[in-house]
Amino acid sequence: MSFENADFREEVLDISNPYDVKFVSEFLAKLDFEYNEYDVDYTMVLYNLNEEIIGTGSFKKHILKYVAVAPKFRNTIAFSQIVTHLMDKLLLEHKHIFVYTLPRNTELFQGLGFTEIATAPPLFSVLEFGYENIKTYQDYIRKSKIETSSRPVSALVVNCNPFTNGHKFLIEKASRESRVLYLFVVEEDKSSFPFEIRWKLIEKGIAHLDNVVMLKSSHYVVSGTIFPSYFLKNQPENEISMKQAELDIQTFIRYIVPILGITRRYVGTEDYCKTTLAYNNAMKKLLPKSGVELVEVPRIKIDSGIENQGIVSASKIRAAIKNDQLQEVFPFLPEVTKDFLLSSESEEIKQKIKEGEGRH
Amino acid sequence: MPIKIVILPEKNMQPVHKAQAGTFESSDIMILIEPLDNDGDNHIELSSSVGKQFKDQINRDITELLQKYEITGARIIAKDKGALSPTIKARVETAVLRSLDKQQGTLK
Repeated sequence: MSFENADFREEVLDISNPYDVKFVSEFLAKLDFEYNEYDVDYTMVLYNLNEEIIGTGSFKKHILKYVAVAPKFRNTIAFSQIVTHLMDKLLLEHKHIFVYTLPRNTELFQGLGFTEIATAPPLFSVLEFGYENIKTYQDYIRKSKIETSSRPVSALVVNCNPFTNGHKFLIEKASRESRVLYLFVVEEDKSSFPFEIRWKLIEKGIAHLDNVVMLKSSHYVVSGTIFPSYFLKNQPENEISMKQAELDIQTFIRYIVPILGITRRYVGTEDYCKTTLAYNNAMKKLLPKSGVELVEVPRIKIDSGIENQGIVSASKIRAAIKNDQLQEVFPFLPEVTKDFLLSSESEEIKQKIKEGEGRH
Repeated sequence: MPIKIVILPEKNMQPVHKAQAGTFESSDIMILIEPLDNDGDNHIELSSSVGKQFKDQINRDITELLQKYEITGARIIAKDKGALSPTIKARVETAVLRSLDKQQGTLK
C-alpha cells in the first residue's frame, strides 16, 4: 500500500473548540495518550480523503508533544509529514526543539535527524533538533573554562530566587574548598525573579570570590520543570520525578563533566520539596559512579528572632514579600538583594509575587 | 514564449535571518540556514542517511549553490534522507532566498 503526499490533508485544530478537542482526545485515547488541551499551544491533525484521521501532533513552546499516527498508516509518510509541519511552525520562533519520547521510539525521531541527548530507561528519552544543540552549549562552557591541574574542580547549580545569605554561604564554602568553582545559574524563567535579575544579584554578591566562574544553565542543567508526565500516566509519580532527574544528571555527566573536568558537585540539603529531594537522591546514585564526588551542605540557620524561622530559604523571602513583612527577613539577605528589594526596580516583581500563587 | 523569472545574485551576501526549506520525508532534505558571526566562512553541518556513500557529493552540491549566490558567513544545517542533486540544490536555493528576504516561507 502506498500513499501520495496529496492524499493527506493537514488541518490546524481549534483548541478553544470543545468538539475539536474531544475529537482528538478520542483518537489519542485509543493510542494510550491522555490529551490535555491546556498542555499544548498548537495541534494539527492529518486526514485522508475519506475523512479518516491519520495522525496528529502538537507542541507547547519548543517541545513537541502527542505525536501519534494510527497503526494502519504507520507504513506511510504520515509521521514525517506531521513532524515537518510542526517544525515549519516551530523554527520560525525557536532555534531549538526538544522531544520527550519512549526509548523504543527514539529511532523514529533519529531517522528524521534528531539527536538523542539522554535516556532514562525504561520510561523516557530526550532528543533535540535545531540551530542550537548540545555542541553549541559545550562550546559556550569551553570558552569559560579555567585550565588547572589541581583539584577539586567543583560545580554548583543555583536558581537563587532571590539570592539569599544561604546561597552566599553555600557558594563561599564551595569556592573555599575548591580550586575552581563553576556556578550554573538556572536560566529557565519559571521563577518570580527573572533570570537577568538573579544573575546580576549573584554576580554582585560573589564579586569578592575570584575562583568562581558563572555559567548559564541553558536547557541542559536542571530543566526539570519540563514534565513529560502526559504519556506516563500509569507510572507512580515519584518514579517519574526520579527518572526525570536521572535524565538531567546523565546529561550533566555525559556533556558537562568531561569538558570542564569536574570532580565534585555541591548541593544544599533539601527539607521540604519532593522534586528536589528526588533530584538529590538520583545524584547520590549516579554521580559517584562517574567519579564525581557529591557534597551535601546543610542549610545555615540565622537567628532572626522569629520562631521556627531560622533556616534560610528563598521561598521564605517570597512569602515575606507576599505578606508585606520584608523587614523581618532582612537578616537572611545579603546587601545586594536587600538594596534591590528596597529599590524601585523591584516594584513590578514584588507586585507579581503578591498577586501570584504557587511555590515558585 | 514562457516567462522566466530570474533573481539576480548580488555580491557577497550574508543571510539576514535564519530560514529553512525542505521536509523530513524520504528522498528529500531539510535545510536550515542562519547568519554566523565570523570572518565570512560558511559552515556546513551535514547528516545523511546515505552519508557513507554520498557525503562529498552532497557537500559539493551545497557549496556550489552557495558560491552561485556568493553567500558568506552562513551556517547550514542539512538533514538528508537520500535526496537527489536537483532536490538538494532546489532546497538550498529556497532556504538561501528565504534567508535573504527574497522569498517568503509558506507558513509566514
